[in-house]
Amino acid sequence: MLDTYDKSRKKMLFGSAALLTLVLVVILAVKGSTGLQWIASGLTVGSIYALVAMGFSVIYSSTRVINFAQGEFSMLGGMLMYTFASSAGLPVPLAFIISVVIVSLLGAGFERLAVRRLRDSSVITVIIVTIGFSIFLRAVAKWIWGSEPVKIAAFSGEKPVRFLGAAVVPQSFWVFGFTALAVLLAFLFFNRTLIGKGMRAVAANPDAASLVGVSTSTSSLIAWTVAAALGAAAGIIIAPIRFAAYNVGTMLGLKGFAAAILGGLGSAPGAVVGGLTLGVLETITAGVFPSGYKDALAFLILILVLLAWPQGLLGRRQDVMT
Amino acid sequence: MEKPRGIAETHSYRTLLIVAAFILILPLWARAIPGDVLHMDIVNIMVLAGIYACAVMGLNLLIGYAGQISLGHSAFFGIGAYTTAILCTRYSWFPTWLGMILGAALSGLIGWLVGKPVLRLKGHYLAIATLGLGEIAFILFSQVKGLTGGTVGILNIPPLSIFGLSFDTDLKFFYLVWAIVLVIMLLTFNLVRSRVGRGLRALHSSEVTADAMGINTGSYKVKVFVWSAVLAGLGGALFAHFQLYINPESFVLTLSILFVTMVVIGGMGNLWGGIVGVVVLAFLPSIIQAFPEWIPGLPESLSNFNNYSLVLYGLLLMIFIIFMPKGIAYGLSRGTVFGKSTAGRLLDRIKAYRSTEK
Amino acid sequence: MGNEIILEAEGVTKQFGGLAALKDISFSVARGEIKAVIGPNGAGKTTLFNVLTGIYRANAGRILMKGKSITGLRSDQITAMGMIRTFQTVRLFEGMTVLENTMVGCHSRSESGFLSNSLRLPKSRREEKRIYEEAMQILGDVGVETRAMDDGTNLAYGQQRMLELARALASQPDILLLDEPAAGLNPYETGELSSLISKLRDRGLTIIIVEHDMGLVMGISDDIVVLDYGEVIARGTPDEVQNNPRVIEAYLGIGPE
Repeated sequence: MLDTYDKSRKKMLFGSAALLTLVLVVILAVKGSTGLQWIASGLTVGSIYALVAMGFSVIYSSTRVINFAQGEFSMLGGMLMYTFASSAGLPVPLAFIISVVIVSLLGAGFERLAVRRLRDSSVITVIIVTIGFSIFLRAVAKWIWGSEPVKIAAFSGEKPVRFLGAAVVPQSFWVFGFTALAVLLAFLFFNRTLIGKGMRAVAANPDAASLVGVSTSTSSLIAWTVAAALGAAAGIIIAPIRFAAYNVGTMLGLKGFAAAILGGLGSAPGAVVGGLTLGVLETITAGVFPSGYKDALAFLILILVLLAWPQGLLGRRQDVMT
Repeated sequence: MEKPRGIAETHSYRTLLIVAAFILILPLWARAIPGDVLHMDIVNIMVLAGIYACAVMGLNLLIGYAGQISLGHSAFFGIGAYTTAILCTRYSWFPTWLGMILGAALSGLIGWLVGKPVLRLKGHYLAIATLGLGEIAFILFSQVKGLTGGTVGILNIPPLSIFGLSFDTDLKFFYLVWAIVLVIMLLTFNLVRSRVGRGLRALHSSEVTADAMGINTGSYKVKVFVWSAVLAGLGGALFAHFQLYINPESFVLTLSILFVTMVVIGGMGNLWGGIVGVVVLAFLPSIIQAFPEWIPGLPESLSNFNNYSLVLYGLLLMIFIIFMPKGIAYGLSRGTVFGKSTAGRLLDRIKAYRSTEK
Repeated sequence: MGNEIILEAEGVTKQFGGLAALKDISFSVARGEIKAVIGPNGAGKTTLFNVLTGIYRANAGRILMKGKSITGLRSDQITAMGMIRTFQTVRLFEGMTVLENTMVGCHSRSESGFLSNSLRLPKSRREEKRIYEEAMQILGDVGVETRAMDDGTNLAYGQQRMLELARALASQPDILLLDEPAAGLNPYETGELSSLISKLRDRGLTIIIVEHDMGLVMGISDDIVVLDYGEVIARGTPDEVQNNPRVIEAYLGIGPE
């Protein structure tokens, strides 16, 4: 989102979009209505990956940090929603807002306390602190909520709706709607507001940006808060379809990251395309291969993309490889 | 003039001997303490620490000296373990010591195959790629049931036996493992203070400049990675013959992160970093777990360590890396725990601020 | 001074995207010569060094060292063939002493590997001793031997530049590329640098120097190549270049009347 005009990232974006379209067409052709079902659930889970990927991209763009705890933001969103909506019985919109706010504060707090201090440290140091944060969050969640998954009621009922021949649960529409809204808001924010444009400036050239008065540290703080909010929201809206538990964050984070890289790290449209593609591919894999291998797909894609198209990620090979 | 030593090497062979002597007599006094005083079996913990130390020392070379990272070393640990476990349980005649060697070798081979492409990546990307590899390994361990026994794992692994001597007690294993660890220490010692060691440290400092100095950085990175894979595989094989039972759950991401934590907390790029980190993190849970028993009357949620062990772990990790990014060993060799860390600099700044206030 | 051409560039071109940093650069350097490359900022001098030493790959043209093509070789391979460069910014290795930094310079002329180093084989021990002695000697030449055991980054700036030079010399280059060696040095230090360069040439080294300090350049060079906007605009002896109107124009922006 912050460097959308980079030419090689655009290539990456079109590449993934083309791949996605191709995959969709092939599925429909080969599998007919089962294929449509796969596509529906694939796009649903893919939207969540897209939201998580956007969280990664926002943080990466402004601070060049990869937040290993991004998945935990989603996990916490879901768990908090459970506490406020299901346990405490608060109305859904209120519980949603409270949960998102709490997680956002958490993200902001971590940025101030930990990330800022390590601004000049080596990559490994920053990696480890975000890993520590993710371990911490996961352990706290287990301590508070236990290890059993919890159920959150769907926003508008569970009865599947017939859509173009596939049975789609209403929650999926919430997912699609929210993702679209998030992308729109991100676009407006980063292209139409002064703060957003300032953050893009920091992402492109931190020194030049600070010279013209854009604060790098504010940019970083906003990035982490937004990423936490995005992650939390993503975790909340997918919880009724999947489930919420203390350990869903790890996989979600990893897959979200794979999606971000697939579509081009640092780009919002890339996050969306990457997420959707990954979601659909994963659903197909689960349909074709023994289910245990499903997760391996995300990692395989991750590694292949990293090795084969690093210049698609940033446009500058030197950042990624030697 | 005496052969000079670099900054990173503030110890000598003498220290190595002292540590070796300490290790030698450890079981004597550890076993002498009555069981209900400490609530932990020191020798048993040290065996596991030693096994992990094999992997961690290799990783320390990779992270601390060559400046790379791997979040997937549980894969190599697992490859070593499964190789020897499969061979020794399928073919009852198969010598366990050979299984161990093959485990380490296969681990190294795979390290070479994946290392060559993956080490072209840098920083975060290398971290994620190695993480992905570790996850793929776990999935393979769990899914290839015919070979690995799937999620059930492999049982009845025969205990290690070398030249007829069977290592079936904690005590015997303790001496074996720590003898191996000390040998690895010695090799690492020599390596770091030599031409190749300087090359690695130069590579860590600035890859481009190192290239300009004639150091084949690509090759060095791969070699260190392979060596760390071999050591991790060796540790895994030892693990298999110690636990006598393995399953995929032993070789998860958490283990990879534990290894890296041990390197970091112990002191990256410091010769003793690996061992210090391993020992501290091996005893910490036991100490914290035993702690409530030393203090009567704690509420249940605090006294049951399992509840919050990971909370503490994550918290410690974060605090440690922020305030003592160089690790314990570095701090110790400076005479003060804080060295040039954030905490130390913070104190300096406070002092300076105070004096300008007047 | 021999007449053997030790380094030759033919039609070297380097582009970054649409920007041509070097356009059709050709020159040759004789053994034992001190050649200076000068030009206004942004003329492409450091880029030229980067291409010569394999950090960048030229888009067109050839580079020949001792008659053999080195176009497209990796940095460490070019180093192994005897061409060493220093950098504009001090790039000492952190966490290593002055002595160790210099010893790294000997890397390309030594060969013990992981195995023999780990096991401290006799061959490795002998080599280490040789490297140690050579490094100490070079530190003496360059004048920082008293600080041998100090952390490289603790040295004064002028001494750090000297250490860089020592590290480069440790690899016993045939060709030494100095990228702005006098930057940040005071007049006294520049004078020392000048005599050191002469001394090195007398020992048989060929030196190519990129420099802005005209006093140093004019005083020491045998031949000068002037770059502007990536092209060679003049070449010749210090006298010829100083009076060349195109050179004056490039530096001052004033056209000939």
